[in-house]
Amino acid sequence: MTDTEPTPVEAPTWKRDFPYEAAAEEDVTRREFARYLVAGAGAMAAGNVGLAIWTQLRTINTGEPTAIVALDTVAVGDTHLFRYPSADEPAILVRLTDHDIVAFSQKCTHLGCVVFYEADEHRWHCPCHEGNFEARTGAVISGPPTRPLGRINVEVRDDGMIWALGATK
Amino acid sequence: MRTSEHSRRASSALVLYVIILVAFQVFLITVAVEGFETGNRRLAWATAAVSVGLAGASATLLRYFRP
Repeated sequence: MTDTEPTPVEAPTWKRDFPYEAAAEEDVTRREFARYLVAGAGAMAAGNVGLAIWTQLRTINTGEPTAIVALDTVAVGDTHLFRYPSADEPAILVRLTDHDIVAFSQKCTHLGCVVFYEADEHRWHCPCHEGNFEARTGAVISGPPTRPLGRINVEVRDDGMIWALGATK
Repeated sequence: MRTSEHSRRASSALVLYVIILVAFQVFLITVAVEGFETGNRRLAWATAAVSVGLAGASATLLRYFRP
């Protein structure tokens, strides 16, 4: 009889690719699985509450009085893009007549796309879903939006500048 | 034996209910993001309230699981 060394058994390919230990392969019971789901549901609920708080805090900021642009640089029928009430919120104003200037948040109240002024139609137009708003009031004319555009109060001061006085959310 | 089978089926049904509630939570996340994007506070808070309610319902269902 000869003593021979036992031939080492070669690990299967899948074991080399996924070298998990057998001890780590634990069964997950239905109860544990349900616990993970409930934990996920709790995390999503917390996320939703966080988003609501963030939305609340963001809309509280209605802006400080700020000079936007000189009146004589905006011709009648022209628009001017600016940021208000914060640097990451696009806004737009239009000079409808010599003394009639209106400004709105440029974010469509449907899904937040930017709106543009259509002078021919005398309206604000959202190209994403064909939403239209009345030029002077920002009220919904047609399309999926249900709320008017966020208005920004403006006035022309003695220094010849158009000032934003605050946003209406 | 009969009771064990009944218990197993009841647990499966409860897991299914929880999965449905979690799927609805995913939908509510998209609604909350829409409320955030459009600055719609009422929508955001209503979504958060429903979401918390669903999470509570999911947690309540756990009590009916047999160990």
